[in-house]
Amino acid sequence: MKLTFNTLAWVIWLSSAAILTLLMRNPLYLIILLLVARLVQNACGGEQASLKISLWQLSAVIMLFSIFFNLLLVHVGQTVLFRLPRNLWLVGGPITLEAIVYGAISALILITLLAVFMAFNNIVPTSDLIAIIPRALTNLGVVILIAVSYVPETLNQLQRVREAQALRGHRIRGLRDWQPIIIPLLVGGLERSMNLAETMVARGYGATGGQPLAARIRGIMLAGLVLIFAGWMVSYNNSLIGWLLVLSGGGFLLLAYYEQGRKIKRTRYTFVRWQIQDWLLVVISLLPLLLIFLPFPAVHGGSITYSPYPLAAVPQFDPLIGLAIALLAAPALLVELK
Amino acid sequence: MNKALATGIFIISTIIGVGVFLYPLILPATLEFANPLQGDFQQSQAMTMVLLTLTIGVLLLEMQGQETSAKTIAAMGLLIASTSVLRFIEVAIPGPGGFSPIFIPIIIAGYVFGARFGFLMGSLTMLVSALLTGGVGPWLPYQMFAVGWVGLTAGLLPQVENTFGQITMLAVFAFIWGLLYGLIMNLYYWPFLSGGMAETGQIMDGFRASMASYGAFYLTTSFVWDLTRAIGNLVLMIALGLPAVRALQRFRDKFQFQVVTP
Repeated sequence: MKLTFNTLAWVIWLSSAAILTLLMRNPLYLIILLLVARLVQNACGGEQASLKISLWQLSAVIMLFSIFFNLLLVHVGQTVLFRLPRNLWLVGGPITLEAIVYGAISALILITLLAVFMAFNNIVPTSDLIAIIPRALTNLGVVILIAVSYVPETLNQLQRVREAQALRGHRIRGLRDWQPIIIPLLVGGLERSMNLAETMVARGYGATGGQPLAARIRGIMLAGLVLIFAGWMVSYNNSLIGWLLVLSGGGFLLLAYYEQGRKIKRTRYTFVRWQIQDWLLVVISLLPLLLIFLPFPAVHGGSITYSPYPLAAVPQFDPLIGLAIALLAAPALLVELK
Repeated sequence: MNKALATGIFIISTIIGVGVFLYPLILPATLEFANPLQGDFQQSQAMTMVLLTLTIGVLLLEMQGQETSAKTIAAMGLLIASTSVLRFIEVAIPGPGGFSPIFIPIIIAGYVFGARFGFLMGSLTMLVSALLTGGVGPWLPYQMFAVGWVGLTAGLLPQVENTFGQITMLAVFAFIWGLLYGLIMNLYYWPFLSGGMAETGQIMDGFRASMASYGAFYLTTSFVWDLTRAIGNLVLMIALGLPAVRALQRFRDKFQFQVVTP
């Protein structure tokens, strides 16, 4: 049987990989992370493709677009390739190699971000994602569950309405001809929602869930938001304190969710156990972020940023950071070993 | 007390939401105080995504924390299912340019059921359709916020009795949001393509330079795409808006009907 990981552990993996991607501008680290995402998707993911075009086709478009835009708009850098007349609005000026490199790195960030999310979409099924909706969001969880469950039924209903109208000789020639299809679909859906609501109430819905927010919980949320906002503002002067404030604000929000969730009882058909491999996934996910943020003397945290301006040079590379990023591929290795 | 706290939550969430979308344009001014060579620009990129995700979490908890009946929950679920089907069709058979049929039901639901319902329907439609089409991506919090605003602002429109006035107002509103949605959604990846202003010294040109640069980017890459969406919204609203509003209004009255026993 294939080795599996807890959905929450995958969410932490995704969050860490996405934040890392956005923090880094060093193309060497970004390439490692891109390869990691592809490796993990191939080893742990399912068969279904999440996009109609492949990642590589999409990457080519993003790369071309980003380079083209950057080289025309940014006229800084010492390696001048050619010059456009100065009187051309915005695009006039020297076209530099450094601008091309910068555009390519920007594209690499977007491509890596896409690859990370594609891997996550491919690995974690929709049902597992719905299962981790916090208890505090019980009403919205029910809304999402109803919506997801009724999509196939709504598609069938659409087909039934179209067939019924076709039997009456209805043909679609213009936009207004959609009216006899869309309105019965809408009304049918709302009629079903009335029946569903009555069934829910008859089965005791609302007896335990849907508690209004207490002033104390709203207070915690407001404090969290204030801290987050303050952290954002402070980060322009001191990024470490800024991040700490944002994280403490996040802690307040977690507390609000926990407090609100405590009032709500929820039962499960199957209980997913948190296993040793889930702890491993969490630890290796947080490791690169810790290496970058905490001031370890042996680690050159500054190497995550790279600027080709004013003169393009080879980016610095810290093997420890490179290794920590490569460790994000551990789930793929574990699955293959198993 | 509770109302004051809820108002505070809405105000700060809105400031953060608007700030996150607009920060690429005001970035040059803010970075005059930062050290771009230490990667402050990159950090702000990561931070805005974290910020928006946390703020969406707060807004969802706040909005569902108000009194919600089983009828409202069931109706919202079914309306989201219907709108997600439209998104499903759109993904399978893409329309011209940026045309998307999902805005009309969200605007109409917001207009008929109110701002809170509209915000939740907009946000959750994006979430559900992302789950169903495998479209969970870095853009999702931004989409949830932007489409949530579409529903929320629709709920703030005045209730017009005159049929012609009502459909004209809704059609113009749908047209404006068709353009506005693209204009603000582009801002989430614009910093990647803005040429590293923080590092090039072009930063000193400030807000006007950012606007000119973004304007050029928007006009060359997105305007026609967004215009297709706006025209599509306008035409769809004129063709289907009025009967859909009437149908939802009938159900709103049914949902609000309650038997009160003494």
